[in-house]
Amino acid sequence: MKNIDLIKLPFNKQNPITVQVLGVCSCLAVTAQLKPAVVMSLSVIVVVMLSNLIVSLLRNTIPPRIRIIVQLVVVSTLVVLVDQVLKAFMYDVSKQLSVFVGLIITNCIVMGRLEAFAMVQKPWPSLLDGLGNGLGYSVILIALGFLRELFGSGTLWGYPVAEKLGLYSLGYENNGLMIMPPMALILTGLIIWWQRAKNKDLIEQ
Amino acid sequence: MAKKNFSNTYIFIYSAVLVVVAALILTVVSVSLKPFQQKNQAAETKQMILKTIGIEATRDNADQLYAQHITEADGHYTFSGGIVLPLKGTGLWGPIWGYLALDPAGTVVGAIFDHKGETPGLGGEISSDKFAQRFIGKRMDTQPIALRKNADPASAHEVDAISGGTMTSNGVTDMLAKAYNDYSSLNTEH
Repeated sequence: MKNIDLIKLPFNKQNPITVQVLGVCSCLAVTAQLKPAVVMSLSVIVVVMLSNLIVSLLRNTIPPRIRIIVQLVVVSTLVVLVDQVLKAFMYDVSKQLSVFVGLIITNCIVMGRLEAFAMVQKPWPSLLDGLGNGLGYSVILIALGFLRELFGSGTLWGYPVAEKLGLYSLGYENNGLMIMPPMALILTGLIIWWQRAKNKDLIEQ
Repeated sequence: MAKKNFSNTYIFIYSAVLVVVAALILTVVSVSLKPFQQKNQAAETKQMILKTIGIEATRDNADQLYAQHITEADGHYTFSGGIVLPLKGTGLWGPIWGYLALDPAGTVVGAIFDHKGETPGLGGEISSDKFAQRFIGKRMDTQPIALRKNADPASAHEVDAISGGTMTSNGVTDMLAKAYNDYSSLNTEH
């Protein structure tokens, strides 16, 4: 596999959310608004890249019997670091994300990439694989955050779009279902459907 | 994966070293970042209190403005136009808190809420200005303000709750009731 594919594939044929169906929990939880979705995406990109890199560097020293524990220690250390740095230097962003930074530890994409890729690959491809998968995750999160905030709250990044367009005076109302987690699942399902309709290779027999 | 045989001793030493290294890194980072974090938190509390009395402070000038406008009293704060009550309670996932500025007659002139870990977009909405605005003009005089679904806008003691954030809304109602008790005992003392 070429290095460029490590970045390209997660956007479509190997997307962590819509094809591998990993990381769905956080994708439902943080996408009620666009801003937390974006910051969550950035944090996940940082954590996946660095944990992939570190585990890849350590891969020949890790005893297979305790590899999951070792991976978990690496990931949780990184996540706590990200959380502490955000609290010290980007206080407002850290408040916005609240509990979800800590929950990156349980994001299946991180552990999935470590197990499937970083444990058996050299550091540089592992770093790129982390970047690719982090970006693939981000695309879906940002799309969901965009749709849910726009139709659920009538705002985008906190800016009152619907109000400025004068939609409310025409009788328009926000769709309350959009801000509930079930709607995120339905939207994710629709994205998966659309992607598979376009790309027939992805349809299982 | 290189199929090496790792002895039990190796595994024990490896995991011990790994955990100690991770703990060391985290300790160093936590200790060195603590002053920054505490400064952020202290400044934020002052910003919040100032905001309830209509003063927008940045994190840098909060100290100075706070010293000018706010006097700390026993369990509450006073300013030129009345008092600021601190609110403390629990939401769905963790602590929630806020401040309520009241004029001498017990009418809310400013409110602000915040939370540690409520769900963004749902319970987390209590920290938005839009939510805090709903409290302006409500009264804490004869009974506490409560959050309700489909609250009567004409009522001085009801505020619309947050859709999808019922547990957090209940938490806000509880802490308002607690603050009301403190507030009424404060009034009977004087």
